This record gives sequence, C-alpha cells and structure tokens, in this order.
Amino acid sequence: MASITIRNLVKNYGGVTVIPGLDLEIADEEFIVLVGPSGCGKSTLLRVLAGLEAIDGGELMIGDRRVNEVPAAKRDIAMVFQDYALYPHMTVRQNMAFALEMRGTEPAEIASKIEEAARLLDIRPYLDRRPKALSGGQRQRVAMGRAIVRDPQVFLFDEPLSNLDAKLRGQVRAEIKMLSKKLKTTMVFVTHDQIEAMTMADRIVVMKAGIIQQVGTPEQVYENPANLFVASFIGSPSMNFLPVDVQADGLRLADGSLLPESLIARPSGGHDRLTLGIRPEHFELVQEGQGLAAEIELVEPLGSDTLVHVSAAGQEVIVRVSPDLRPQSGQRIWLSPAAGKAHLFDPETEIRIDGTGKAD
Amino acid sequence: MRVEQNHRGQMAAMSMPALVFTVGMIAFPFLYTIWMSFQTYSSTGQVTGWGGDNYLRMVVDGQFWNGIWITLYLYVLSLVMQLVLGTGLALLLFRAKRLPGIVRSLFISPFMMPPVVAGMMWLVILDPSLGAANWILTSLGLPPSAWLASPVLVVPTLAMIDTWQWTPYVALIVLGGLQSLPPSVYEAAEIDGASRRAVFFRITLPLLLPTLVTAMILRSVDLLRFFDLIYITTQGGPSNHSMTLNIYGFRVGFEFFQLGYAGALMVTLSVLVLGAVMAFNRLRAVVEW
Repeated sequence: MASITIRNLVKNYGGVTVIPGLDLEIADEEFIVLVGPSGCGKSTLLRVLAGLEAIDGGELMIGDRRVNEVPAAKRDIAMVFQDYALYPHMTVRQNMAFALEMRGTEPAEIASKIEEAARLLDIRPYLDRRPKALSGGQRQRVAMGRAIVRDPQVFLFDEPLSNLDAKLRGQVRAEIKMLSKKLKTTMVFVTHDQIEAMTMADRIVVMKAGIIQQVGTPEQVYENPANLFVASFIGSPSMNFLPVDVQADGLRLADGSLLPESLIARPSGGHDRLTLGIRPEHFELVQEGQGLAAEIELVEPLGSDTLVHVSAAGQEVIVRVSPDLRPQSGQRIWLSPAAGKAHLFDPETEIRIDGTGKAD
Repeated sequence: MRVEQNHRGQMAAMSMPALVFTVGMIAFPFLYTIWMSFQTYSSTGQVTGWGGDNYLRMVVDGQFWNGIWITLYLYVLSLVMQLVLGTGLALLLFRAKRLPGIVRSLFISPFMMPPVVAGMMWLVILDPSLGAANWILTSLGLPPSAWLASPVLVVPTLAMIDTWQWTPYVALIVLGGLQSLPPSVYEAAEIDGASRRAVFFRITLPLLLPTLVTAMILRSVDLLRFFDLIYITTQGGPSNHSMTLNIYGFRVGFEFFQLGYAGALMVTLSVLVLGAVMAFNRLRAVVEW
C-alpha cells in the first residue's frame, strides 16, 4: 500500500512534449481516475507510472521511494491492460502464476494465492482454460486476478472496460469498485468515459493536452467545473453554453431575454461578455412569456427521464425533463436556469468566474 | 426460375475447359504414376506384368532403404539447421527494426537464385583442390576437406548448401510471425519481471510455434523431395552416399527405364511427403493459441 507523488513530471516522444510538467499527489488506498479525451496524455502518464516509459524530467515517488530509474518489475505495481494482455498460450492458472514464478515464489504459495484470487473473482471454473476459450468479461477478471496475486502496492488500469459491451461494463465497473474497497490498495484508473470516472473515483483528474485541468471528487468536478473544458467533458449530455452580455440589470441572452440577479449573481470585474453554462437538468420550465423562449426540435425519451433538444436564443440547447411532461416536437416552452445552478465562464480564458469569482 | 437454371448451365459450360485442363494437368499424371507403379515393363517399354511386384521389390531393395535413410538424414539435418538459424536471424532482424534496402536485397538473394546456379557456385567453392573453402581451411592451418567427394561429409555439406539458400526464407516467415505477436503481452511480461531468457523461452518461443510449424511444413515438402542441388553436384555419389529416394527414383526411371519400379518409388515418396504434412498439420492444431 502506498501513496504516489508526482513532481513536475515531463514526458517527450521524440521532439514532441506529451506531458509538460505535471504535479499530482495520490493518497494511499485512494481510487484515482485519470480522464480526458484521446491524446490528453492520460495513458502516457499511466505507462510512466508503470515504468513502461522513461521519465524525461521531474520526479516520481511510490511510497517514499523515488522510482524514476526503477524498472517496471521492481516498482511493485500491477497493471491491467486495455486488451488484457493475457499470455494466450497459457491457461488462466499459468497466467496468474507467471509473475510469482518469475519472483521465485514457492509453488505451494503460488497455488494458494491463485486459489484465493480465483475465489475472490469467481473464476475458479476457468482456471484450466486458455484465454481464447473465455468471454471478454471473463478475460477481464483473469487480468485482474493476475494483478491481484502479485499483491502490489499500486494497481494501474488502462481503459480495462472499453472492450466490454455496455451491460457488462456497468457490472464490471461496480465489481472493480467493490474490489478496491476490499483490497485497500492505491488504484489509478485511466478512461475516456466520464461515467466510469464519476462512478468509480474517489478523486477525478481531468486532463487535456498533458495538463491537469482539475482534480477533485466527482461531486466537485461535476458541480464546480474549473473551466469550460471540464464543464463540457464531465456530464452527459454535456453542459449547454450560451453567450450573454453583462448589463446593469443582469445578464442578457442573445434573444434579448434577461436573467435576473436572483437566478445568477453578476460577477465582479469588468467583463462585457461571458459564457453561461447550464446543465440539461438545471433548467426549469416557467410560464409562457417568462424566461427563455424555446421550440422543441427533438424528443429523446430515456425512460427515467426525457431529453429535449430545443432551439433557444439562436442555438441548440438540451434540457432534461420528467417523462410525465410528454413533450412534443414543435411545441413552444419557456425555460429558466435553476437558481444558483448556472455557471459563468470567461470566454477568453475559459475559466469559471462565478461564485467566488474564480475556480476552486 | 427457368432463366436461372439456364444461367447455371451456361456457367457450368463456360467453366468446363478450365476444369478439364486442371484435371488433365494435375490429376492425370498423378493417377498415371500410380497406375504405372502397379505394372512391370520390359526394357523396350512393353507391359510384362501387373500387380504389387514393384512394391514387394522395394522391401528387399537395399538401394531403396539407403534412399529412405539418406532422404531422412538430409531432411532432419537441413530442417533443424534452417529453423534454428532462421529463427535466430529473424530475432536479429526484428531487433534491428529498420533495415537498409540493400541489406534486405542481399538477405533474400540466396533463395531467389535458381538451385542449379547455387549448385554450380558451391561446386566451385567446394572444389577440393581449387575451391575457396579449402583455401580458407588451409590458411587457418586446418586440413583440407573432400566436402562433396567425402562419403561422410557429403550429406552434411548438401545440408549446409541448402541451409545457406533457404535460411533467409525461413527467417522471413518467422519475422512475419514475430511482427504479428501482441506487443502488450511483452509489456505484461516486463511488469511481471520476466528476464530476457524467460521472455524468449516462455513467451516468444511458444507464441512462435504455429509460425515455426508452418515453416516446417513448407520446408518439409521441399526437403523430402530434395533433387536439383544433388543432381547438379553429386548425382547421388560418392557411391550412393547422397542417393536420396528422389534421385534414386529418377535414375531407375530415366537411366534404367524401369518405369513401373520408378513409379512405385515416387508414390512411396509422395506418401512420405503427405504423411509429414499431415503430421505437421496435427502438430499445428496442438500448438495453436
């Protein structure tokens, strides 16, 4: 069990800087999810932690040991790969035993560790099968089993759920989370799926272009996104963004409607124009003639709630409403942001400026 | 419906020439050889008997058993050398990643060369009195060798020449196999703390086995029918010490004109090749991952 400290870490590929100086503290037993779009450097960071990629600058500590020059095998980490990377010619049992055999562990101890991990993961019936004879979900468990038997200080996961179908993904997601509670090991999980990040993480690290955009609990990241990027990346459907003019009596939208100060406080500082961000579920339907006029263009019933695509203030906005409302295409509705739920962003710097005036 | 049947009839009629050609070119000679192997001929080509005499004759023919022994000796020796060296060469090339075009061309040139040319070339090199091989040996203070003229060394020397010619081919097949191995498995092995030796013997080699068996099948078919190089260099000599079954069958057929017996020898050789291919196909199913 160990904490991870990353100080001013730099990673280059050829002449291209992928991570230009990154700082991060991961606490012991914490479940950290690195999330971001393709090419944001999250997988690179994980591979650097694993020791599969060399570090070009800065410092990496696992526990109180500096591991910059320590080879992967000696870092006491285990990794679950996106394609599982099981040894295809070995049985499940042999796959799980391999790392222990390489360490010179006694055969009796290897057998008991495999038995224990197999029971934990419910893969005992498959121990003598080869990976080819397993389903995606079973392979995923074997990959986890191979990691668990090593009893590592840190678990690294590289998008391990992306090859599973939607139903299985939800199931395995919950299993990994429960496992992390049982094993009490530091876990670093990489994904591009914000739902995985929200559901599993103790803390989420949102990355873009090798730079950390925000670190926080799922609630913090969701409710107080640091900038436009985080606001748009976390949450599905994405937050709606509308340009507003700052005026003496409030914020005026493109269609001329005015948002009173009671709904959203006008920020201090001399901004003329801002970007208003509202999540789909943070709209309220108001009486005709009040708020923002909108025309329904498309209705997507999800069962538990309904997504309504509307045209408002000259652009498309997505609103989440109760299915009881039974909205129809072509219908006109009037919307207002829920009090205290909307955010304001500086369109130049993209930083959130509502609340305390800057990102927290 | 009728139109469709007409259409089918037309298609069958139009593919008929190709079918007839294929049967004529491939099946007929093969079946005719089998047919001949059950007949005995006089020296003037008259059929003198019918039955399994040729096959019975084989059992008591010392030359036949010598041919089987030489064929298998040459086969096993060449195959082992070509697989070991080919795999080694492929691993070197795989590590080298980028290879200049000239090296690649040099590398594949041996098996581009007609076997007759390769044979002539090696005859010159291995000439006991004028050849470069003995010059090198004597320069190093070693005794000269008779090479192809030596009853003991003739088969190893032939195996060496064939290995020179066909190792690059095996290496290319193995290189293809290496390039198709999943890279993440090697990263997993790195994290698992496998030494280079362990990675090779416990991961690379088992994963390469299906490719190696494919190379074995391809080489087996050629090696069991070993002919052109021997025909150019030794013609089966010295005193039958390189007389493979194929060379023996050729001499029986085209020098002694015993076409029936030659047919029986060739059918036996074909069964041998077929058996090897079937055995390796089985093996491939076992090592498949």
